[in-house]
This record gives sequence, structure tokens and C-alpha cells, in this order.
Amino acid sequence: MSNKVRLIKKTSRTFLLTGLVLAVLSTIALYFYTKYQLENELEEVLYSTEARVENALKLGKTVSSLPPVIEVNEVKVLKDKILKDTVIYDPSQKEMELFREYSNYKKINGKNYQITIREMVVESEDFLLAIVLSNITIFGLAFVFLFYFNTSRNLQLWQPFFKNLEQMKRFSLSSKASLELVESDVLEFSELKNEITTLTNKVRADYENLKQFTEDVSHEMQTPLAIIQAKLDNIINSQEINEVQFEQITSIQKDIQKLKQLNKRITILTKIDNNQFVTVENVNLTEIINNKVESFKELKMSKMFHASNEMLNVSMDPYLAEILINNLISNAIKYNNSEEVITIVSDKSSFVISNFGEKALEHPSKLFQRFYRESNETKSTGLGLAIVKKICDLYQFKVSYKFDKMHHIFSVNFSTK
Amino acid sequence: MKFLIAEDEHDLQQSIATYLERDGNICEVASDYIEASEKVSIYEYDVIVLDINLLTGSGLDVLKTIKKEKKNAGVIIISANNSLTDKLEGLDLGADDYITKPFHLAELNSRINAVLRRGKYGGSEIMEFNEIKIDTKSRAAYINDKAISLTRKEYDLLVFFISNKGRVLSKEIIAEHLWGDDSDLLDNFDFIYVHINNLRKKLTAEGAKYIKTAYGSGYKFIDE
Repeated sequence: MSNKVRLIKKTSRTFLLTGLVLAVLSTIALYFYTKYQLENELEEVLYSTEARVENALKLGKTVSSLPPVIEVNEVKVLKDKILKDTVIYDPSQKEMELFREYSNYKKINGKNYQITIREMVVESEDFLLAIVLSNITIFGLAFVFLFYFNTSRNLQLWQPFFKNLEQMKRFSLSSKASLELVESDVLEFSELKNEITTLTNKVRADYENLKQFTEDVSHEMQTPLAIIQAKLDNIINSQEINEVQFEQITSIQKDIQKLKQLNKRITILTKIDNNQFVTVENVNLTEIINNKVESFKELKMSKMFHASNEMLNVSMDPYLAEILINNLISNAIKYNNSEEVITIVSDKSSFVISNFGEKALEHPSKLFQRFYRESNETKSTGLGLAIVKKICDLYQFKVSYKFDKMHHIFSVNFSTK
Repeated sequence: MKFLIAEDEHDLQQSIATYLERDGNICEVASDYIEASEKVSIYEYDVIVLDINLLTGSGLDVLKTIKKEKKNAGVIIISANNSLTDKLEGLDLGADDYITKPFHLAELNSRINAVLRRGKYGGSEIMEFNEIKIDTKSRAAYINDKAISLTRKEYDLLVFFISNKGRVLSKEIIAEHLWGDDSDLLDNFDFIYVHINNLRKKLTAEGAKYIKTAYGSGYKFIDE
């Protein structure tokens, strides 16, 4: 994004660059054109003065030399006429001056004359400077005026575009607020606005459909699952079956249980997405943690230790608070070695749980993704940590994972600042 | 005991009825809203198992009828919708319990028994099985009037066993009951053995040898 330029800046820059190139080109052209004209004029002056001197000589008048402007000398040999630049010291100005010199050799009344006419040249630097200065002034003024005029005009012209762009930046699938797009009398902007409206409506409708579909599917699955489960419960009770069949039936029961968990978790995820958890209460997480630890201890599943020096109170949905803590503790138990102690440390703004692990995760960045499992042992629904992440995102809590000293450590920071 | 199963899925309705009838209970069934409304108005039941999504109306409306007519029946709502608001609404309207599909019939049976034991609907707070007596109000268990000390989980387990006496209970069913709804620890059944063995030891020590193994990995609470 660093090399991206704002539209207004870009158009202004183009405008300035074009102007600058034009100004330079026109200055150069003007310089050469003026120089050419001046030289032409000067030569004409030289020719006409020489012609006058020649005429005067023909009429037998004495033409006195007026160096360095006019010099008439008698010479023995006639040469070709010369037109050249020469530098002569001007005593009045006390500096070297550039002159244009025209020398002509003529035989007049039997005498050979060299007529030299010189005219001081206006120094090119002087008029170049004059041209540049006047050009800069003219262009400068024009620039300033046009620049401000154009910029403000552009800003005004693009206003609907910028406003709609801002609206689009605020667009979010999870928020129900509709985009407030502005209409424009510019055809393209108007079309753009209509396209954005169509597109966002479509995206939103598709998203809603998908969510509804997910919810419906998991909902519709519950009844058939209930029927299967009820029938299995009756089979193991009403008929004589053998041990192998019993094993198979309980294995089916286990899968039904998995589907049930999966459904439940998908529903939770969808509901968080739908913003259906609107209750926000001051929840005493320390109490929830203590209760969970107690009930896990009662089940004798893992050794657990909870250290808390300050009460952890958080504003959130109490149901989600339960799920958050439950999922993190379940996760720790699931991957813990049953001989090791699971440590939970909580204070007034954070919760840290660590369990023993043989080695660090291979893909810790994928940990919170749906259905990501580090190993192929499908012990879990693969949604527990995704839900943890979703809950944390909902309330802007920060959840993180690290592996340190043979322990998997999950931390949740509840301070939202 | 007399139950009404108001459930529009015929297979589920019949399965529930079959399971509950094995204890000598009478089960009537209703397959839609109208039938359910009629039956609850006309007849008396101890417990009504009520599906929220009945074919032609809401189970919650049936519940309103039951409460309006001051029927002395326990109500357990079953729903495919695992929604907290549904649950709260049902309980607010006076339902005694709420269970989400899919559920184990043993779990439903245990909930029905719990509702009955609250004493309001013709059940007793005292649960008895031969020499075992459980006072469900004080959560105390006795064998031949001698108090036995049980942990909370062992107590829950014993109540669950006696509620489903004579039935085969797989470890999955027991795990789900002990654990509750939030269990994600699906493959971890080791802890079940620990609790069952502890309970079995305590009962056996007093001569109550009723926890039997069924089909190798299941359990059955039975007097043989």
C-alpha cells in the first residue's frame, strides 16, 4: 500500500508535471525564436548601414570612421564579405562587449575599400533571463490559480466516490446496518453506487442463506439422531444381543454423541456470528473456574491446580463465559498426560492454563481454525478452540498460545484496552 | 405411573413409549398439537413428555393449556432446538425440565423419575431398591438403614442406576449423564470405571451386589 497515491494528489501531480514541462518547453522555444528574430533584425541593420556608407562613398562623400561602429579603410586586395561575432573592449562601459561585425570589400571610384559595420548584440543571457522570469511569473500565477481551482473542483466532483468508498470500508457482514451510499449526477458514479448496492445485498443475502442453512442442517439432524439413539437404547434393552453387537451399538452411540457435540458447537458458532448472545453481565469468572475445576476433580480425570490472587470479573454473556472456560479446561485435559498437573492461574484481568506436552505444536498458527487437528486421533470435534477464539474476538479479549518448558500454555487477556 | 408422549416423530414417540412401558408404566401418545391439547385437557397424567415443535402447533401452547387448567402433571420438554431462550421460556411457563435432542432414553427416564420424586406429581422423595434407600431431598443413601458415604458423582450414579434398574447402560450413556451436556471428552472413559468401581465397592461392602456387568463393557443394576 505504501506506493499508492491519493487520487487528488495524483491528478494534481500530473497537472503540475504537465504544466512544468510545458513551461520549460515554451521558454526554450520562445528563447530561440526571440534570439533568431533579434539576430535577423541586427543583420538587416548591418546590411542597410553598409549600403548607406557605400552610397556615400560612391557619391564621393568623405565617410569618417566611427570605431567600433563604422570603420572605412582603404585596402589593396578585395576579399569576400564576412559576417561574424567579435568581442571588443568598450571603454565607456569598461568591459568587453559582444558585437556583430559585417565586413564588405568594395571597389568604389577606383579605390578598394573595406567597410566594417559593427552593432552591439543584446546579450542572450539578459533576454533569456527576462523571458524565463516573465514566464515563471505568468505560469506561476496560472498554476496557483488553476491548481486550487482544479483541486477543489476535483474534490467536489469525486465527493460521491469518496463518500461511498468510506461506506464500503465500514461494510461488515456481521453488522446488519445497511450502507448509506450517496447518489451522484455523474453517470459512472451513479452506476458504481448501484453496483455496490447490488453486490453488497447479494453478498449479505448469500451469507445469511449460508448461515441459515448451517443452522437448519444442524437443527434438522437432531431429530433423526434422536430416533437412531432411542432405537439403539431399546435394542440393547429389549433383545438378546451378543457382546460384539453390543460393542458395535455402543460405538454407534459414541458417534451419535460426536455428531450431537458437533451440532451443538456449530450452533454456538453460528449464534455468535448472528450476534445472538446479547446478554452482557458482570460475570465472576473465578467462580466459574473454581466450579469447573471442582467438577473435573470430582470426575477424577486429571490433577488440577488453580491459583488466583484476585477476583476475575468480566463483562460478557454468562453462557459464553461457561463455554469459554469449559473449552479451555477440556482442551487441557484432553491433551494432558494424566500423571501431570494442569495449572490454572488467574488474576483480575487474565486467565492462563497450562498442560504438559511432549513437544510443541507443528502449526500453532492454525490452532484456532475450525476443524484443525494436530494429530489424526479424532478425539475432538475440532471446534472447541475455534469457539474460544470466536468468543474472545466477540469481546475483544486476546487469546494466545505458546509452548514453553514442555507445556502448552493458553492465555486469555480480558483487558480490552 | 401414567405418561403422555407428545411427539410428532412416530419412531421416536414409539421408542420412548417402549422404553418407559418396561417399568410397568402406562404410556399414551399424541402425534400432533390438536391431539396433545385434547388429551391433556381430558385425561390426567403424572408426567407429560412434550416436544416443542409439534406438527400443527407449538408444544409451548400445550404447556400453557396444562398450566391454565391447573393440571397436576410434571412436564418435560424435548426440543431439537438447543437454544437457551427456548429453554428459559419453557421453564418460565412452568415446565419441570428440558432435554435436547438427541438424548438417551435412560437419561429421559432418569429425568422423569427426578420430576416424580419432587413429590408434587404422585412420586416419592424416597427412592427404594431392596435394602437400598435414598432420600433424594437430603441426597443421602442408606443400606439397611445404615448411612453410606458417597461422593457426589457416586450418588448421581446410584440414582441413575436405580432409575434405570434392569436396563443395560453403556459407558457412553453413563459418561454423558455424569458429565452433562458440555462434554467434549468423548473418548475418555477411564474415569467412568473409577467411579463405578468405587460405588460398586461401597455397595458390595454392605452386601448390595447389584451392579452387574452386561455384554462385557456395559452395566446393569439388577437383583438376580
